Amino acid sequence: MRKDRFERWLKNIHYTREQEISCSECFDQVSHFVDVELSGEDAAGRMPLLRQHLDQCAACREEYETLRDLRRLENQGQLPSVDDLKDLLP
Amino acid sequence: MSTPRSNPEWLQHLQAGGSLQEAAIADLRDLLLRAALYFFSRNTSDFQGLGREEITQRAEDCAQEALIAVLDRLPEFRGESQFSTWAYKFAINKALTTARRERWKGASLDELASSAEGDFQEWRIQDKAEGVTPEQSAMQGEIQAVLVEVIEHDLTEKQRHVLLMMVFQEVPLDEVVHRLGSNRNAVYKLLHDARRKLKSGLLARGFDTGETLTLFGVSG
Repeated sequence: MRKDRFERWLKNIHYTREQEISCSECFDQVSHFVDVELSGEDAAGRMPLLRQHLDQCAACREEYETLRDLRRLENQGQLPSVDDLKDLLP
Repeated sequence: MSTPRSNPEWLQHLQAGGSLQEAAIADLRDLLLRAALYFFSRNTSDFQGLGREEITQRAEDCAQEALIAVLDRLPEFRGESQFSTWAYKFAINKALTTARRERWKGASLDELASSAEGDFQEWRIQDKAEGVTPEQSAMQGEIQAVLVEVIEHDLTEKQRHVLLMMVFQEVPLDEVVHRLGSNRNAVYKLLHDARRKLKSGLLARGFDTGETLTLFGVSG
């Protein structure tokens, strides 16, 4: 196992809670989390179970990071057009 | 380019009927297509061997599926976020699943399981003593032995299978879900239960997991 992978696994074990929210619950709440975060508020403090799930679940974390970055571009008036995005494809 | 709308306007227009609804659906579809393309543009390595047209077609399919999901779940939108943030997540979810399916399409479940088992057995005997004192090395060895023991004796067959695939073989969650004919919640629960047992196993043998991180030089 790669070193970084092993380290992340150890952290995942350490931060395991008895009760964790599911991927569906994360999906339901993540848009709210992103908007709270981008407003400058403490999203992790307000929604600690969601933050914990994002730390544990790579799939939900990747969706969250994409959503956050996309939302940030839209907030800045820099959301790329369909044609611009197609140009980024190989 | 989509027309800017407030949350109430999105809800009203999407259910209005006639040209107002048609325009709103067209704008929503444009946003969802952008979200899918945005995800794909960040993950082009998932599409080895595919050209721009084929990738774009997959993004169109994701946008269409997401559009159906958004309209289906519109009554659940409570206005806690901006409507576009809420809608984007459906397209991003479809895009991630599609991209990972594309990346792993050539690997069979048996091969993945076999490789994961091989990686686990190799890891069992791997010497991790690099740049640490003999005492630290001995402690690391003890911790590793506990982890191996829990994996071999305390996990159910399903928990072990999912853990080895995802942790040792780095198979993404959605691909495991697909291969097992399961769903995200069920596979996440298996992994969560496995983590709980590993943590309990370490604690029961006197290893605080925070100290374990320190011992392996992992920052919290």
